[in-house]
Amino acid sequence: MFQNKDDTVYEVLQKRGVSRRDFLKIATITTAVLGLEYTQVGRVIAQLETKPRVPVIWLHFQDCTGCSEAITRSFNPGLASLILNDVSLDYHETLMAAAGHQAEAAKKAIMDANAGSYVLVVEGSIPTGFGMTSIGGRAADDILKEAAAGALAIIAVGNCATFGGIPAAKPNPTNAHGVWDLVKDKPIINVAGCPPIPEVMTNTIAHILVLGTLPELDALNRPKMFYAQTVHDRCVRRGFYDAGLFANSFGDDGYKAGYCLFKLGCKGPTTYNACASLKWNEGTSWPVQAGHPCLGCSEPGFWDAGGFYQGQSALIDVPGLTAAAGAAAVGIAAGVGTAAANAASKHRAEQATPSQVPADDKEKKS
Amino acid sequence: MNWTDAMHFVRGPLFSAALLFFIFGMLYRLVTVIALGWKRDHAPAKSSKVVGGVLNVLRSAIIFPFVPRIREAANRNPITYLAGGIFHVGLFVVVMLGAAHVLAWESVLGFRWPTLPLPIIDFFAAISIIALIVLFYNRLSNPVLRLLTRTPDYINLLVVFLPFLTGFFMTHRLLLPYERIYTIHVLTVDILLIWIPLSRISHFMFYFITKPRHGARFAQRGAKP
Repeated sequence: MFQNKDDTVYEVLQKRGVSRRDFLKIATITTAVLGLEYTQVGRVIAQLETKPRVPVIWLHFQDCTGCSEAITRSFNPGLASLILNDVSLDYHETLMAAAGHQAEAAKKAIMDANAGSYVLVVEGSIPTGFGMTSIGGRAADDILKEAAAGALAIIAVGNCATFGGIPAAKPNPTNAHGVWDLVKDKPIINVAGCPPIPEVMTNTIAHILVLGTLPELDALNRPKMFYAQTVHDRCVRRGFYDAGLFANSFGDDGYKAGYCLFKLGCKGPTTYNACASLKWNEGTSWPVQAGHPCLGCSEPGFWDAGGFYQGQSALIDVPGLTAAAGAAAVGIAAGVGTAAANAASKHRAEQATPSQVPADDKEKKS
Repeated sequence: MNWTDAMHFVRGPLFSAALLFFIFGMLYRLVTVIALGWKRDHAPAKSSKVVGGVLNVLRSAIIFPFVPRIREAANRNPITYLAGGIFHVGLFVVVMLGAAHVLAWESVLGFRWPTLPLPIIDFFAAISIIALIVLFYNRLSNPVLRLLTRTPDYINLLVVFLPFLTGFFMTHRLLLPYERIYTIHVLTVDILLIWIPLSRISHFMFYFITKPRHGARFAQRGAKP
């Protein structure tokens, strides 16, 4: 893990026994996934051959390590290993062998040695409630701010680190936040998802490494190259949606026929992610293809956006029976009050101008 | 606030508040309106008021122009009759039988019912939008109607038109990304919910009271409704 930091990526790969042929494959795949033209392969190769590896520090806070699990299953192992070993993953609480104060000291040394040039990856939400998560006796937000101060850029991976995820769901007992709520003065890339697609994580890092720039981001700081289209737009079942053919329950005829899962609660129409195009597990499948509605895991607050099996158009917050009955009671009471006031004022008016004409005839005249 | 937050807001707290206001406002109006009409009948009824009321409700359900009574009304105001009729049918089909709308109803009521395929819903939405535009044009061009029309009547048309238009755009992925137009669509529905009790759109509730009331009154006087 701790290699000479001045080695280029290619040199590191060579030392690890990667052949020139395999290196070119890695470069080509990287070019393709970054969405660059084929003619740019040469540029990618040149960058990998000449650029020193980028140190990566990977912090864990309130997470399930699912994002780390996912990245180790990247279907482009060359690229994943590039990130995990060769780009120099200097500090990763799950993957590193060191532990305790030694690990913390090593992290500090790396941060000092690479100040302003390392990439900080954050997994998990950051609790800001008093006495919540602490590592080595220090509060989580303190650790994040220290690491963020010297970072070139911050990549928040997973819904927890980006938008708060499960820990920030109501009632949010730890007062958890995503990175961008706490760090304002550094470029932050939100690689959203629960977990994000492994290729999206590796290629976002590769983009910084290869092109030397941050990828273009959308309004939620997600790389546009992966989050520009909704799941619904690229869905294999989209035709059934347009034709109005839906599965009404799990296992019914429509479900068996592979119809649209919109009525089973699919959040595809409002979820921006690359699941439908990149897919998972070496392009084998993805949730909707496998028969499960999209949960909307790459969107903010997806735990609080209504039930997973409630329709996309379902209302999130519906007044309970008590509130509805209360509103009805107040309405009736106010109505009765107004009616009584009307009757009283009419009565007063009639008494003030006594008339011989019966009420019904008066109505006709007016 | 980003668009996702806005979407959660209009589908959540704002909708909730709008629905509560709707319940409050409609019941308030119902009670005050009902309280206006309790006047003792001094004359004996010429025929059964109950039968008259029921008959009038049943008769008003017949909307076909080949029925003489309806034909007369249709001939007198063909545009209002046709465009108004198409709009009301479209409104019912889209709101009650559209898949996404039934899921919304389900989240409020707790149960669902069968839906129609999207292309059919889309057709009804399209003709309703056209009908609303025709009704608007009619209000502008018909000199009598124009004199009768006040600002709230235009607002009525607008707040009904907007949910239709944004819903149609959303279905066809026009103008804005889905989640934005979806947010705007739900927002327009929230506005509509608040506006209904304040306006004549509340006729959908009073309709079922005024019809038997008229029938009963006719029966009392011995007139044929």
